[in-house]
Amino acid sequence: GAVLFNACNKSFLDQSAKGALSPDLLPTKTVLQALLAGAYAALDGQGAGNNAIAGGAPWEASPSNWIYGSVAGGDSHKGSSLGDQPPIVPIATAQEDPSNGFFNTKWKALYEGIARCNAVLKTVPQTPNLTATDRVNIANEARFLRGHYYFELKKFFNMVPWIDETTTDFNQPNDKDIWPMIEKDFKAAADSLGDKAPTAGQANKWAAKCYLAKTYVYEKKWTEAEALFEEIGAGGMTSTGLAYGLTDRFEDQFDAATKNNKETVFDIQMTANDGTNSIANANGGDMLNFPYNSPFRCCGFYQPSIDLSNSYRTDASGLPYLDDYNSHPVKNDMGVISEGDQGGAPFTPDADPLDPRIDWTIGRRGIPLHDWGNHPGSHWIRDQASAGPFANKKNLYWQATAGTYSDQSTWAPGSAINIHIIRYADVLLLWAETQAQLGNLSGALEHVNDVRKRAALPVNFLKTYADPANPMGGFSGTNAANYVIAPYASFPSQDYALKAIRFERKLELACEGQRFFDLVRWGIAETTMNAYYAYEGQITGDLPGGHFTAGKNEYFPIPQIQIDLVGKAKLKQNPNYPQ
Amino acid sequence: QKSITGRVLGPDRKPVQGASVSVKGATTGTQTDADGNFRINAASDATLVISFVGFASQEIAVNNSQSVGTISLSQLATSLNEIVVTGYSSQKKKDLTGSVAIVNMEAAKKQPVADLNNMLQGQVSGLTVVGTGQPGQTPQVRIRGFNTFGNNAPLFVVDGVPTQNINDINPNDIASTQVLKDAGASSIYGSRASNGVIIVTTRKGTGKVKVSYDGYVGTQKPKGGNVWDILSPQEMGNLKWLAYKNSGKAPTDAQFGSGTTPVIPDYILPNGAKAGDPGTDPSTYYLDPNYNGSMDGFHQIVQANKTGTDWYHQIFRNAPITQHNLAVTGGNDQAAYLFSVNYFNQQGTLINTYLRRFTIRANSTYKITNFLRVGENMGYSVISNPQAASGILVEGSAIGMAFRENPMIPVYDIKGNYAGSAGKDLGNAKNPVAIQQRTANNKGLANRLFGNIFGEVDILKNLTARTSFGGEVYSGSNHSFAFPEYENSENLTTNSYTETAYSGYNWTWTNTLAYHLTAGDHDLKLLGGTEAYLATNRNLGGTTLGYLNFDPNYTSLSTGLGTQTNYSNQNNGINSTTAFGADNTLVSYFGRLDYTFKDKYLLGATVRRDGSSKFTTNRWGTFPAVSIGWRISQENFMKNVGWITDLKIRGSYGTMGNQFNALGTNSYTLYGTNKQTTYYPYGGSAIVQGVSLQQFGNPNGKWEKDKNLNVGFDGTFFKGALEVTADYYHKDIKDLLYQLTFPGTYGAGTVPAFNVASMKNSGVDVAVTGHINIAKDLKLDATGTFTTFSNTITQIDASGTPYFDQDSRRFNGSNIVRNAVGHSISQFYGYKVTGFWQSQAEIDAANAEAQKATGNPNAVYQTDAAVGRFRYADSKNQHQITNDSKVFLGNPSPDFSYGLNLGLTYKDFDFSMFLYGVQGNDIWNNVKWWTDFYGSFPGGANSKTALYNSWTPTNTHAKAPIQEAGSYFSTQSVPNSYFVENGSYLRCKNMQLGYSFNFASLKKAGISRLRAYVQAANLFTITKYSGIDPEISTNSGNVNATTDFGIDEGAYANPRQYLFGIQVVF
Repeated sequence: GAVLFNACNKSFLDQSAKGALSPDLLPTKTVLQALLAGAYAALDGQGAGNNAIAGGAPWEASPSNWIYGSVAGGDSHKGSSLGDQPPIVPIATAQEDPSNGFFNTKWKALYEGIARCNAVLKTVPQTPNLTATDRVNIANEARFLRGHYYFELKKFFNMVPWIDETTTDFNQPNDKDIWPMIEKDFKAAADSLGDKAPTAGQANKWAAKCYLAKTYVYEKKWTEAEALFEEIGAGGMTSTGLAYGLTDRFEDQFDAATKNNKETVFDIQMTANDGTNSIANANGGDMLNFPYNSPFRCCGFYQPSIDLSNSYRTDASGLPYLDDYNSHPVKNDMGVISEGDQGGAPFTPDADPLDPRIDWTIGRRGIPLHDWGNHPGSHWIRDQASAGPFANKKNLYWQATAGTYSDQSTWAPGSAINIHIIRYADVLLLWAETQAQLGNLSGALEHVNDVRKRAALPVNFLKTYADPANPMGGFSGTNAANYVIAPYASFPSQDYALKAIRFERKLELACEGQRFFDLVRWGIAETTMNAYYAYEGQITGDLPGGHFTAGKNEYFPIPQIQIDLVGKAKLKQNPNYPQ
Repeated sequence: QKSITGRVLGPDRKPVQGASVSVKGATTGTQTDADGNFRINAASDATLVISFVGFASQEIAVNNSQSVGTISLSQLATSLNEIVVTGYSSQKKKDLTGSVAIVNMEAAKKQPVADLNNMLQGQVSGLTVVGTGQPGQTPQVRIRGFNTFGNNAPLFVVDGVPTQNINDINPNDIASTQVLKDAGASSIYGSRASNGVIIVTTRKGTGKVKVSYDGYVGTQKPKGGNVWDILSPQEMGNLKWLAYKNSGKAPTDAQFGSGTTPVIPDYILPNGAKAGDPGTDPSTYYLDPNYNGSMDGFHQIVQANKTGTDWYHQIFRNAPITQHNLAVTGGNDQAAYLFSVNYFNQQGTLINTYLRRFTIRANSTYKITNFLRVGENMGYSVISNPQAASGILVEGSAIGMAFRENPMIPVYDIKGNYAGSAGKDLGNAKNPVAIQQRTANNKGLANRLFGNIFGEVDILKNLTARTSFGGEVYSGSNHSFAFPEYENSENLTTNSYTETAYSGYNWTWTNTLAYHLTAGDHDLKLLGGTEAYLATNRNLGGTTLGYLNFDPNYTSLSTGLGTQTNYSNQNNGINSTTAFGADNTLVSYFGRLDYTFKDKYLLGATVRRDGSSKFTTNRWGTFPAVSIGWRISQENFMKNVGWITDLKIRGSYGTMGNQFNALGTNSYTLYGTNKQTTYYPYGGSAIVQGVSLQQFGNPNGKWEKDKNLNVGFDGTFFKGALEVTADYYHKDIKDLLYQLTFPGTYGAGTVPAFNVASMKNSGVDVAVTGHINIAKDLKLDATGTFTTFSNTITQIDASGTPYFDQDSRRFNGSNIVRNAVGHSISQFYGYKVTGFWQSQAEIDAANAEAQKATGNPNAVYQTDAAVGRFRYADSKNQHQITNDSKVFLGNPSPDFSYGLNLGLTYKDFDFSMFLYGVQGNDIWNNVKWWTDFYGSFPGGANSKTALYNSWTPTNTHAKAPIQEAGSYFSTQSVPNSYFVENGSYLRCKNMQLGYSFNFASLKKAGISRLRAYVQAANLFTITKYSGIDPEISTNSGNVNATTDFGIDEGAYANPRQYLFGIQVVF
């Protein structure tokens, strides 16, 4: 026996792995392309088995930033009942603590994206027989994606460790401002990628230019931004070659059937019923954000705020109340029980002038909710007293196409609606802001009005149902509310222009995960959020103790567990959080 | 050589069956048959050694005769000469130098359980077993505390074949079980000895053909009463009104209305409808329980259950248990055989859980020539064992839903379809009856052939070579159907069918050469050997959605409309869907020396060298051990001490190894694909294949090493009336393999096991056995076992943190369990509750203190402190409650456990009782998170504690805090000591009364033995624990079972069992 074993010990004890690729098998064109697809696949933050990509719950890593951009920025409530997902409550009230597991999930998901980009960048030089174009495109798409992941980290946490394809020690300090590295990645992509990309979902040079411009705006490098915006405005096109523009129908931005249109700068691509029997590629991060007690099943999260609804009030001339919108509240059904439930009472919706975008953003009682019927009010709200009377609408699929664009394979729905990282309306508003900062008020006016004019197209006025009993039977010719909207006639001052542009971002990009980060970069987060807590907190029960502390809450805390793992000396907590 | 016969009788002049008869100085042997007769081949000048458990062994010279006649075994009831199977060898008990516990299989087999693991609870010292009431669930078995951070299950060596799976070994087939506890005894199993080794030897036949039947039937009863103290529907309303009042809000409820007091409605669907409401007209009812697609147009009508549904007893009910065992044995000195069939059927008290097992065993040995023996041991099993859907002790299971589902919901609606939380304000739990009933057609079947073939040749007189090739071949399949739900507030609306299959094998090939020399005062045994091991398996499975019809005869992977998924993989463990894995192999060399001088100085030494495929650069490990014994009672100065029959002092020191906690792929960095995580829909529709790093490799992994010191003694006193074995041990375990958490900057690949931690264990094992003749014909046998272990983690080399945390449940990122240096494994960790905030003034004063201490005018003492909520201990004197204020709140490991076996015989009656207890452990009762806090998912069931014993201005020294609509840091959103309870208990595991029929007519009919008995298992439990069952194991799906246990979130309680059994021998 011993002799026999001696002879074959070596091979007997060398058991190779089955069903996986060892690193030496990576440098081929097909595997390299798959590595790149893997780097894109991390965009949605979702992993297998209804988990975030690096652990944690799906919503904690949602790339829509509904928690960190919208709920934290006051355009939405957490929703559901107060005790459901309690870690969102401190995020909503600026009372977050480093031990909050949500930040750790997001942090890990973003660094997984970076790791995948780095794997591509490391493998490209090792791969033989690549055409020069492939070599450049694959590498620079990876750099674009890495720029995106770091942009997210930067706006969330400010000071974060930089890991790239040359890094061997992953315990890096967070002692450097990474904006220059983010710029470099986007710039490389902008300089080398083609006008078009092989598919709608891949980055082209214009996506990179837009993202670079957005980076400049975040850095307040207005001149550099302006130059890029001019280029983009003149020749920008989507990955499929459509000249950038706004779709006539605002709703086309929020419908899976019309995704990847001329307004798409860079989207996270979603698909439903992809054969995985899961919603991992179908907006898993937003699975909670559907009306409760409804055909959507779960879970009643992400309810637009009353403050947001009031922002859509327009005056007789069709312009918003920039300062005192909360003095012109939009009538809602807070405290009125749905008809059909015990104690139910009728409710008539608001009749005064409204921006039509309200009814593509907020699901409110008595107004058609796509083709699902008029929103019934409290019946579809898990706890009105906690999070208000509204439902989010931008992530709702339509009943008529639910079979194709929704995915019911798990305990809460998925959908094929893309998540916009940048859409052209965002670009136009950033451009307007840049021009206003540079004193070009007429340019700013033009670009804000581009956005308002689209909203004012009659096609964007929601209509009532032809037959409310048959919501899938189509719409009548009657507007569902009193829509009054008009472009600004002029900007009397730079201050006014900036205020109007900022307000326009609130209206146009509401519930798209942008608000908190906009407020922070504008430097008005403290005043805006504390005003919000004062106003909204009196109406709903889910904002106890809300208070934004300047010098602290502009950035989220570095996850405590990461500090524990790396050490306090290397990974420094953000200012004014428990160290 | 010639054939010698003889007969062995006991002191009562009755035949002794199963006594060992061997030729002194040789390895040949046989056993006596039912009539006490034996036949053995021996030289005419040989000496025969007759030994039997509990009796003194005797030596008889053959003296050229054909028969040695009748041999009477003397009263001396010691087991010193009992032959004990040890590592690759066997020894007399008196010669043992290692710590070996011999299981009294007769007592152990009295437990009405299917699995040897369960039987061992409390039967031997040094062994801790924690089980559940779920049929077929493998319990946690730990030999002398914890040995690793991962797989702690001992290594079973069944007829020489190592395995960790013995749940299909029929306990009736087991002849003997020995637990090897220290390095001296088990280091010879080197690589895999660290968790302890349990040697199991299956039965062989002797004498003339004998047929025996054992069988029992019985019933099992779940605990009665309101097991979780759930409120009635009216009380549920009252609690909501109280909580809203406490939160300063006017209560409104879709069911209870919005009046000054809650009013139970007649119907809960439509919400809160009164009788006569048009919506309750049965003609408007429409529901298709087998819908495929949307629930559009459904109109379900559900009456309120005004008296309340007892969900526990809707899913738990009395259940039958039965076992039949038939064995045929026989043999002579040329061949011996055992053939047995066993049928075990335990229905679970939880509906649609059961264990049905059929096993068949054939063991045989053949003596081909005087120097050549061959044989085989083979067991084949077929098992069907559906367990509770979604596991146990974890959120989402049917049991977990039974304490969450609102009691106002009936089981069924007006048309007999399931009712649930679909109405408003009824919480979000799921109907537990529906959960379990929907699994009725989910079937699974597992087959396993386990055994070995062996050959033994005597090369020289004292030199024997043995080869054994054994292992297992197994396969199994499962299929299940997921029905669409309609009755709950959060329904799964798709239907799907899933089928999985697996198959695999492993083999161990062992070759040994044994030499035995007896010369004068010297007795020397030498053994050398090699062993090789290979394990592999494959999984295959898929899921399809969208069935036209849910008939179990129709559904298959091929008949669904949806995309068919499939997967397959190799060697990831059974039923794993992870894409990658690698076969595991081991190569080993070992040697053993046992030396006895003058029958009183004993020396044992073993060494083993193992190579494992799981490691690359540090592939080989060496595991030596040495043990010594001194039979002090053989010394002249002790020989006069009359009450000491035998006394031996033992000591051993050695190293054992472990590699269970590294996967086969541990060394490799691997990239792979996964449709859910690495594929991307570039165009927004079809997904495109992507690749990402799946696992980091650790090529420097090496063996865990367990340095083990043992000192003990074996004493036999008063001519065997009292036997005591006691051991003290100390284990230093180094290089523990553990999957570290990498910093997030590495990315998300699976982290391999690194040798990063150390821990130590120490403890005392004591076993005491006494035999007392109380009166004529009345005999008492008692065995007590006592086990302690104290475990301390001494090192965790995770960069930065000397601890790792696990299990956050609903505590959102804050974990319940912390494994930390200086503490025992799996301790509970959180904030210590010191009482309630009794007034705003108390909070203001605390805040002022925090502001003064921190210099921050906005500082608060404790996040969302409010009157009636918990006040936490400022354990670090920071004048503020921070993350650092958390403390260790409890330890799920007991200080000690104990067992007491009492056996009484009076004439033909026998009575036995077995008591088992653990003392000093804590349980995290997470059921209370759901039941004692209104704010944890309002609308779900709550407890009487929440309503009647929660803080109110007039009940300031309550148990639970103020009831509110939300969930707060200062109530239940962080782990705190409210959930920790004393888990000590004493349980009467078993009580049995038997009668042996001793009629002459039976003998004439060929029945040599007929015994009938009645039995009660788990008859009573004495505990302060408020949950259903203090025996809290781990969720069977928990991959961290060793480092995270003792948390109760819906236990599958051990039922009380009543049995009637019969034993017949022909």
